[in-house]
Amino acid sequence: MMPVLSSIGSKLLGLLSYLGELALLSADTTSALFSARIRAGITLSQVISIGIGSQVVVMITGAFTGAVFATQAYFKFNELGMASATGPVVSIIMCRELGPVLAGLMVTGRTGAAMAAEIGTMRVTEQIDALRAMGVTPVDYLVVPRLLAILISMPILVGEAIIFGMAAAEIMTVHFFGVPEIWFRTQMLAHTGASDLATGLIKGTVFGAIIVLISCHQGLTTGEGAVGVGRSTTRAVVYSSLAILISNLFLSLMLNRWLPTVSVNL
Amino acid sequence: MMAMPASIPFFEVENLQQTLGGHAILRGVSLSVPSGKTTVVLGGSGAGKSVLLKHLNGLIRPLSGSIKVKGREISDLTEREMTGIRRTIGVLFQDGALFDSMSIGENIAFPQREAGERDEAKIQHRVAEVLTLVGLSGQEAKMPASLSGGMRKRVSLARAIAIKPECLLYDEPTAGLDPILSESITHLISTMKEELKVTSVVVTHNLGAMRLLADQVIFLKDGEVHYAGSPAGLEESEDESIRNFISADAMGRG
Repeated sequence: MMPVLSSIGSKLLGLLSYLGELALLSADTTSALFSARIRAGITLSQVISIGIGSQVVVMITGAFTGAVFATQAYFKFNELGMASATGPVVSIIMCRELGPVLAGLMVTGRTGAAMAAEIGTMRVTEQIDALRAMGVTPVDYLVVPRLLAILISMPILVGEAIIFGMAAAEIMTVHFFGVPEIWFRTQMLAHTGASDLATGLIKGTVFGAIIVLISCHQGLTTGEGAVGVGRSTTRAVVYSSLAILISNLFLSLMLNRWLPTVSVNL
Repeated sequence: MMAMPASIPFFEVENLQQTLGGHAILRGVSLSVPSGKTTVVLGGSGAGKSVLLKHLNGLIRPLSGSIKVKGREISDLTEREMTGIRRTIGVLFQDGALFDSMSIGENIAFPQREAGERDEAKIQHRVAEVLTLVGLSGQEAKMPASLSGGMRKRVSLARAIAIKPECLLYDEPTAGLDPILSESITHLISTMKEELKVTSVVVTHNLGAMRLLADQVIFLKDGEVHYAGSPAGLEESEDESIRNFISADAMGRG
């Protein structure tokens, strides 16, 4: 019994210590955002890497998710004689949940892993120590430009995932299943408001910050050579993905209260 | 311990203790590095030499003990408070630690830009000047990945001296190099010593480098200062571990 309790206790302490380090990095990064020199060149290259580099994968993910979701929704709604409800359901889910979550997960896999690997390699080859030895704070040079870049990129990527998802849903519902276009569009627009889009963009921005902080933390704390870089990269993807999915629940609860969906009197 | 000089030492370390991964690496190290002189830290692998060096510019925080840079206590300074002090200390890392996403020229320009220099002509002039000093004139456009071990160390040294530091820290400058390259790097450090007149701390296990460079020697064993004094005094020491170290070096040169 004691070894089990001891193991649980030690894991809990490890988790608390990790969360503490993450909180310190967040505080330091937030402070540096307002006090440190902004490196426009590095930020721009990160916007290109994160924002432009992730567009295709996010568009494809959004489009196929919207198409599949519309297909499943249509089959069930059609049985109930409510085929025109497909548009609003797909639209609200894409705006509020699937757009930001899937864009977040795709950016985690593509960019979070790259950030952890790049910074981790810099750590094990003493490049981080070299930065510090030259009087450059790694948070200012490595974390802040990445955070700024993702804060600029994520809302755009989420917007694209939503647009492509809804366009694909319309193609499936209208052109494949024969729901009149006017029904689909009227119902979709009547039930979707600015609050739904704002919810998705806010969530995407929060997920972006989560990805950068977790991935950069993994990179900055990498140890044990090439094996350590591999571990950090894996952890960056797993922890960021879990953090996105868990925080999404709390964000949904909060944002549904602050930014409720459009009420329609039928 | 050797006698303290009358002027303020560049580094003053007292009772420095450090553990890494549960193992004691430094056990109460005390030493003084006089300004303008070259101090060589000798010792076998795992003696704590590189860890000691990284304490001198605050890259590692001490577990306990005191570290003073030009009389100022640094052990309780934050990362941001260390910035100004670190810009007066250049470091040559063991494997060069060059930024592999930048060319040689950009690597050397980097500390100048970070120190606030905005005149691009001045920056490029200094890049060319220090590359000439380390014997790599005209190599600005090359990337670090295309360099040999010896060239990486030369570029790293050029980067370290680019902002005219008051002190240079060398972490195993000859490690991993063949005897000819090793001697060439040692002579380069000697040239830096003569031309730049900076305070230097050289961590090495190379007795040849010690003989050429040292004004004072610190011999570390198991995380403790085993000897501090003149190079001649070390060579004449009857201490068994020092004798073993010297004879092992002689056999290695063979």
